[in-house]
Amino acid sequence: MSNSLLAFGIIGILLLLTLVWLSVSKVGGKVQARAASDLPPGRDWQHISYLPQIQQALAETDFKYLSDVAPRRLVSEVRKDRQHIAIAYLSALREEFIRLLDFARIVAAMSPEVAVAQELRGARLHFTFTCRYYLIYLRLKTGFAPFDALSALSNSLSSLNIRMETAMREVGERAAMSGLASSFDGGGLDTH
Amino acid sequence: MKTLGAVQYLWALSVAAQVAVCVILVTRGYYRPLTVFTAYAFLNLCQAAFLYLIYKHYGFHSDAAFTYAWWSQAFTLVARVLATTEVLRLVLIPYRGIWGLAWRVLGVTSGVTLVFVIAASRGNLDWGLMEADRGYHLIFAIAIVACLALIRYYYVPVDRTYKAILAGFCFYSCVTILSNTALQGVLYKRYENFATIWQVVELIAYLIVQFIWMRALARPLPAKHAQRPVLPASVYQRISPEIHYQLQAMNKQLMHFWKLEEPGS
Repeated sequence: MSNSLLAFGIIGILLLLTLVWLSVSKVGGKVQARAASDLPPGRDWQHISYLPQIQQALAETDFKYLSDVAPRRLVSEVRKDRQHIAIAYLSALREEFIRLLDFARIVAAMSPEVAVAQELRGARLHFTFTCRYYLIYLRLKTGFAPFDALSALSNSLSSLNIRMETAMREVGERAAMSGLASSFDGGGLDTH
Repeated sequence: MKTLGAVQYLWALSVAAQVAVCVILVTRGYYRPLTVFTAYAFLNLCQAAFLYLIYKHYGFHSDAAFTYAWWSQAFTLVARVLATTEVLRLVLIPYRGIWGLAWRVLGVTSGVTLVFVIAASRGNLDWGLMEADRGYHLIFAIAIVACLALIRYYYVPVDRTYKAILAGFCFYSCVTILSNTALQGVLYKRYENFATIWQVVELIAYLIVQFIWMRALARPLPAKHAQRPVLPASVYQRISPEIHYQLQAMNKQLMHFWKLEEPGS
């Protein structure tokens, strides 16, 4: 079989599998509920609220001190706890990212015109963020990641709440007036 | 002889299923919202009747029957594109921005796939017709998958009936891509009755599609979409770059985190 025939065969199988996935998989109700819940103004940025505690929990100085004075077993337990905290925090960051992306998609769906370049950038960001997230997640899980670096992740997010609030309010008010949230309740390919 | 009998049997079954789809479309009044799709379904029936007469007059394996059959196929392929566009329009027209985006995505994916098809099929004149048929189905299937992915990405609600119609078209095209490829690469060299095997595969795939459509059309079609809320274009222009800027900042932070963790960094 020639290379081009092989390419056509592989593409055909991939297309068939993608079609099955698009037809069978459901757009999670959680995602839709989250998208809808983003619409009202005054949304809560949870991980920002707990940032000081997270930073304290992940402080390297505390851990070094503990390593010097505490028994090995306790140090190991603390290491595990810190690992759990780091993973939970990373998940919260991802949740935040997805929420924001969902909001961007809703704005695009409501708009009479969308910019292709902008939307492509959003899709690309989603892809790269997801890849990096899983790489970091794996490293945290396997214990190869220093925890103090995690706090750097949230530095740029503290301003997010203020900057987005006005935009959220505007879209939220419009959506509330025209009942957009309910229109998205049954959204997705497989919800009927 | 047995396989030829199987082809005839499947063909008759396929015609019966097509008649059933047409009956449902007419009796339920679905020809009003799905005008082009209904025309496509009837065109398929007409093609079946035309082919029956052609094969009867010229014989199944004659050159004339072969030529007429492929010419009639060209008309149905055009009608298939129009019917698909109609369904996509019904799904996406309340979302003007996404509809505009879908058109551009269709244009780009079709153009790129066409270039690939031409490059991959160059110099293979013996299989010209099969290559063209496969090229058409490849462009068609990629375009539908791209649109379905776009619809999913923006959480656009799609009624099951419309989704089944699109999935049916796409499924048939995927099977055709695979069967044409298998015909060239494997069947032709190894099996004497390669043409019959190819026809059986095509007919079974088409029969499955007809059953999917029958089942989907048994449900009531959705009421005409209420006007979706539309934001002024200025809101998107103002908010969207801001959101993407923030997304990019989060992504950079994640990248920064990753770099900090590089061993030895």
